[in-house]
Amino acid sequence: MQQETVKFTENDLAKYPFLKETAVYMKKLGLDIEELTSPELGQILFRAQDRLEQAILFVSTGQKGRNDIEIPSFPVAIMLAIATKNSFIKKRYALAEAKGAYLDFQAEPAERLMAIAQDFDWNIAVNSESGIPLDYFSVSFSDYLRNVTHLREAKWKLVNRLFTNGRVFLSQHDVARLLQEEVQRRIETRLDAKEVPQFPQPIMDIAEKMTELAKEKIGESEMEGFPKEVSQSAFPPCIEVLYDAASHGRHLGHVGRFTLTSFLVTIGMPPEKVAEVFKTSSDYNARLTRYQVEHIAGSRGSGTRYTPPSCSTLQTHGVCTGSDVLCRRIRHPLRYYLIKHGQTKPESQLQK
Amino acid sequence: MSSRDWVYERFSEFYKSPRYEFPSPASFSQREYGFLLFKERAMVRHKGFASSTALRSFVRQRIPSDVYHSCAYYENPEAEMDKKGWAGADLVFDIDADHIPTSCGKIHDEWKCSNPDCGVSGGMVGRGITPDMCPACGGVKFETKTWACEQCIDTTRVETRNLLDMLMADFGFSEHEIRTFFSGHRGYHIHVESEAVRSLDAVARKEIVDYVTGIGIDLFEEKKRAPHRSRQKKASTPTFSLGDYGWKRRLKRGMRSFLQTASKEDLKAIGIKQGGASAIVKNKETILNRCIDENRWNIVRGVGYETWMRIAEHVKNREISQIDTVVTSDVHRLIRANGTLHGKTGLLKVEFPVKELDTFDPFVGAVAFKGGNTRVSIWDAPEFKLSGETFGPYKNQQVTLPTAAAVLLILKGRAELAEVQS
Repeated sequence: MQQETVKFTENDLAKYPFLKETAVYMKKLGLDIEELTSPELGQILFRAQDRLEQAILFVSTGQKGRNDIEIPSFPVAIMLAIATKNSFIKKRYALAEAKGAYLDFQAEPAERLMAIAQDFDWNIAVNSESGIPLDYFSVSFSDYLRNVTHLREAKWKLVNRLFTNGRVFLSQHDVARLLQEEVQRRIETRLDAKEVPQFPQPIMDIAEKMTELAKEKIGESEMEGFPKEVSQSAFPPCIEVLYDAASHGRHLGHVGRFTLTSFLVTIGMPPEKVAEVFKTSSDYNARLTRYQVEHIAGSRGSGTRYTPPSCSTLQTHGVCTGSDVLCRRIRHPLRYYLIKHGQTKPESQLQK
Repeated sequence: MSSRDWVYERFSEFYKSPRYEFPSPASFSQREYGFLLFKERAMVRHKGFASSTALRSFVRQRIPSDVYHSCAYYENPEAEMDKKGWAGADLVFDIDADHIPTSCGKIHDEWKCSNPDCGVSGGMVGRGITPDMCPACGGVKFETKTWACEQCIDTTRVETRNLLDMLMADFGFSEHEIRTFFSGHRGYHIHVESEAVRSLDAVARKEIVDYVTGIGIDLFEEKKRAPHRSRQKKASTPTFSLGDYGWKRRLKRGMRSFLQTASKEDLKAIGIKQGGASAIVKNKETILNRCIDENRWNIVRGVGYETWMRIAEHVKNREISQIDTVVTSDVHRLIRANGTLHGKTGLLKVEFPVKELDTFDPFVGAVAFKGGNTRVSIWDAPEFKLSGETFGPYKNQQVTLPTAAAVLLILKGRAELAEVQS
């Protein structure tokens, strides 16, 4: 819609090295990764390592340096993150870069912010509706929806937005926040390399160091999975209702059935036990039920193991039964189970 | 010949007629097709066709009772689900009387308890909405016979009108991007085939569902978060403000039009107390011009937080569209193909222009079988209209009916062929 009127400067690229134009800059630079360990290019590698360290420790990207070091240090940091093959590091790094950009986006003049948005193929314009503040932007609803999927606050729901004729009206602050999501996705995509090339030894050594650092940072707590025994007393209210309905033979809708099955399978109930839950159902068909349960458990079909829908999806489809105190703190029924399980003594365990 | 075989022959004649054309959806060759086979009553899926000629010859050969295609576009429609290569999907909405309370109360629907040990011999029978549990034996399995009456269609039409208004005014789609269909049974399908929606994932589509069904509007959320608030006398002023965009515009417009004509009885019917209802009717001008237009909610004595919330809630429920939430958020959904017969009615899924929603009569426009008469024995059927002619009600009688009416009654389990033909 809007023509790109702003040309990005080297200062812009140093601030936002994830822009497409960085590739042009890098091509001109003609960097050879074998030379990264040389004294001249050592500063770039050093800054790249710093980017990752800051991300792992503080979700930050650290102190910016000279443009000719800052810009190339970004693709090198990407390479380092790929070399770690560690999903925590990759996620954390993408988040840190995106958060840093978000702070800078808020201070950009409107034209430059729009140019950045257009780098992500957004359909964005300066607001021209008289009823809406003049310093607002208008964004197509599809660009908006693509970027609010992880944002949880009520204000991001489309029902609570200034919305007309396909356009969502946003303050600069809101645009910056949504662009943060774009940046994170773009970097995550780059880090999601299918094949990891053979990196020079010094690169691998740094990657090793980063992995150690990450392990220290996250500790062992994040590595824990679901408790070994199934504890019915830790079921969230929605699952409790579904479980009760199914075991009394009442009919469940498609979403309800899927939610209950995927929940039970994910927390570790064996598929044959799950199938038994539906035994008293009026339309029970042993073979079909078994097939469906195994499909959801990933032992049939595509092998995808399905997890239950999030709280907001359950609300959309009318499966959410209204929340208790713990529900307000979580957004996924599995999270509820984990927390509640941690609080309750395993007294009413179901046989596994 | 069984009644079902006879219907099969009518379907076969219809699809084999040289005049029959398959209206094809956009990006035809990228769609997955699915068929419910008449005789085998089995589903055949994962079919792809290079041309509508190829599709037509498949249908002519197999004669399905129902034809579906994916809302999605695939690189390889015939592959297994996770190897198809999803390349986007239309945004589709299904509005069906099955899941919406209708003014007829579905009194034309019948249910029969399937419990062989039901206290009532042969299983208890009832009319209207199927109960959760059999009143006689507590059984939970039922056979049902549904029906689509004009009131069912009228109800779904209102929901469709609300949806179309949102799609055009708020989402900004033009009439050319929106395709409206009668579903062939008791409701409407809306397809949006626009580049803007193709790549939206299930989460983004769910957000659209929430918009259309009014889920998560902050002023109602606030009430949920602080239910004690309404009981505090001092905090009786709503904090919400209405406006000129999105849902705030819908609520403002809806509250205006509701309060303009609402009588004391209308207000009491939505749970407003005598005092509040009187105050609203007596101060109508102030209510409309000061409260609603200027967001000043506490200037009419006797009309406080609780009253305003009831009005807003009522208006919200009038403004939403009761779509099937699962259909819209499923990016792999199969949906009935345009111009094909519905296996429960023998009516067509048929497209009509958006602006003709109010004038298009599905009981005329969706009739597929023209001409011919057949004698049928009818157990029980309510009065109905087809092609402008009124039939019934019938009870245990033999009647000669046009083919379309006979097909409908047979598929609905209300009649069978009067005599065995050779």
